[in-house]
Amino acid sequence: MKYLIVSDRVGTPGDKFEPASPEEAAALLAGGFITQADGKSAKMETEPTEE
Amino acid sequence: MATSTYLSNPVVKIGAVDISDQCTSATINQKTTALDSTAFGDTAMKNVAGLQDNSIDLELYWSTAASETYATLKSLIGTSVTVTVQGSSAATSATNPLGTLTGGYLEEIPVEYKVGELSKTSITFKGGTFAWSES
Repeated sequence: MKYLIVSDRVGTPGDKFEPASPEEAAALLAGGFITQADGKSAKMETEPTEE
Repeated sequence: MATSTYLSNPVVKIGAVDISDQCTSATINQKTTALDSTAFGDTAMKNVAGLQDNSIDLELYWSTAASETYATLKSLIGTSVTVTVQGSSAATSATNPLGTLTGGYLEEIPVEYKVGELSKTSITFKGGTFAWSES
């Protein structure tokens, strides 16, 4: 799982973030400090298609 | 005599989050429990080192804005995290050592709301191993 920094409290926004543990990643995601870089929305199960 | 006075420079991190601008006090309690090893024949108390009993106390403004105190702490209660305290943001060195509490357990987050005052919380990260680093 890859993460990107959102808040400057963690680092430079936009930079990749390497969590020390899954627990740290979960806490930072919950607080809005980082975001998942390669994940689709949990609500989106399939790739959107052009019509 | 040279002294070190820190009025506004310390850097406090909870996990990866730099919470310095919400922090008004940080107390490092580095402790190794003394075990009594006094025996017959001794004429004075003697002790040997027991378990470490470290902790870090922080006083923080209770900001519930995005990426502030509440967002930092809300998922940490009942978990263990690394907390670091350093005298200034300058490079870590013998005169600016970095104190790291690894595996500090956050038991409670007491918050007090008072009229006419900024809300604050005083939290303690208990246990874990503590070390100073100079590089």
